[in-house]
Amino acid sequence: MAKEYETFVRDSAQILSGREVALALRDLTPGKKKYRGINVRAVVSRPPKKGEPTLWIRSVVGVKESRPASVHIVEELPEALMATPYTDFFEVLKKAERP
Amino acid sequence: MEQRVAKRKPGRSKLKQGGKAAPKDLRTFLAAIERTRDLIQVKDKVDWDEELAGLGRISCERNGPAFLFNAVKDYPGWRVCANPVATWRRYAVALGLPADTSVRDLYEMYAEREQQAIKPVTVKGGPCKEVVIPGDKVDLFDLPVPMVHEGDGGRYLGTWDLVVSKDADSNWVNWGTYRFMVHNERLLTGYPRPNSHLGKMLLDGYVPKGRPMPIAIVIGADMPSHLAATATFILGGNEAELAGGLGQRPVELTRCETSNLLVPASAEIVVEAEVFHDRVAQEGPYGEYPGYRSGEMGNALCARVTAITHRKDPILTLDTTGFMDSSACNTSISGAIAIKRRLQRHGISVGDVYIPPESGVHLAIVSVKKSGADVARQVVEIITARRALISKVIVVDDDVDVFNMAAVIHAFSTKCHPVRGYHPVEYTGRANALTPAYSLEERVARKGASVAFDSTWPADWPKEDIPVRATLDAMYSPQVQKKVLARWKKLGL
Repeated sequence: MAKEYETFVRDSAQILSGREVALALRDLTPGKKKYRGINVRAVVSRPPKKGEPTLWIRSVVGVKESRPASVHIVEELPEALMATPYTDFFEVLKKAERP
Repeated sequence: MEQRVAKRKPGRSKLKQGGKAAPKDLRTFLAAIERTRDLIQVKDKVDWDEELAGLGRISCERNGPAFLFNAVKDYPGWRVCANPVATWRRYAVALGLPADTSVRDLYEMYAEREQQAIKPVTVKGGPCKEVVIPGDKVDLFDLPVPMVHEGDGGRYLGTWDLVVSKDADSNWVNWGTYRFMVHNERLLTGYPRPNSHLGKMLLDGYVPKGRPMPIAIVIGADMPSHLAATATFILGGNEAELAGGLGQRPVELTRCETSNLLVPASAEIVVEAEVFHDRVAQEGPYGEYPGYRSGEMGNALCARVTAITHRKDPILTLDTTGFMDSSACNTSISGAIAIKRRLQRHGISVGDVYIPPESGVHLAIVSVKKSGADVARQVVEIITARRALISKVIVVDDDVDVFNMAAVIHAFSTKCHPVRGYHPVEYTGRANALTPAYSLEERVARKGASVAFDSTWPADWPKEDIPVRATLDAMYSPQVQKKVLARWKKLGL
């Protein structure tokens, strides 16, 4: 089975711009570790690119977009990112993007 | 959830007639609710990925039983219990009372026991230490952590939990019920609200000092301990003593492996962790107690697990959070009692207060002896002064039984003036971010409003002009009432 991930975003247009972005992904591989989280720098494509893992995009209240995307993971980021508790995580991710 | 209530004086336990000490641990409690037919054991294998939580969810929606799932896919040797106290019947058993105890009696019993603090005792070891997993061997995916709702941000370990934390500058120890999600093998993310007791301890104490905050996430303790952790309770209060009072027995506490925190020794699972003062990861979204997945996501805390201890053949407790979940009855009682005490302190001639659990702690019914618009306005202002979890308050005269929703709806529908009867208050910074009615922007800014629906007679109406209720007790002479009731009985009705 091809690898699948999901991600939660405030605005899907921002991650579908074709440029490299920082994302928090949940691994949907069936088994005991399903839903494991990783932080990455990646490029998201829609329509999905052949050979890339599928990415399902959800809103901040968990509503799944009907059309899948694909994700090319450029590199993995640290498991937790530097910021004080309760800092807006989407802003923290944005800071982890390359200029 | 916390609100300020009157200080309690530590005292000795005093059993009310008909009451007895609560079941001493989760397993004793489960045996008790199985006897009352409020628990179903499931032997068939069920999936941790939505299936078992789905069963728990529908049970909450249909006032159904608790479930003990004895065979969980991928997790031999582990069991999951869904919704230990999500009905008034199971709530009564949790306090050591008959399952058919009335809601009014439960309110009275809670108010009485809340005042009877019983100090905990510290013991060495305990059932929760039967298996000890040091931090470097921890893998959170070895626990049968359920995916509670489709579309949640991840798997939630902490749902029906009790999270222990200690103030950085004093001896204040807090127990609270807060959600915690598995991020990876050793990291959890969680959302105790920033203005929760734990959030305050972290932000006011540990973050300025640049230190991680030790916590212990306790799962499957005795029910009074969980009820104390879920309760609306005084800032700085001792929930371990409250648990003793509620259960009418001292809670046995034992020391954590990697910190000095004390946890209920009978617990099924204890996850010891340190909350980072300087790191975050994704948390949420999560289907929450108001019955929606509506909270803003992305501003939470992150913790690294330092050890896990558990009983043999452990039971992971789960609250399938949402409409009428495991916290609904307890927040109904403890919240209403806290509101009543606060109104009394402010000189309101309050009769009774009821928070219908079906309202997701958003609606309070308050009966008052002195009626009128000014009183209704005062009531809503007092209730929302610090943290505004309640967004609607129906104020009724004290001849309305607040526990009788038919009577409340009748009073609200007929006595609340469509224009003059509602009294809104608006605020910023203390609204409930989980209230589904608020926009995303309002939730982020904690901006909101509450409204009192004045369903009392105007204070300036002459007594002789007040409409007379067309019910047997109000529109018939005492002699006729007596005669009618006797006839009613004779007719076998």
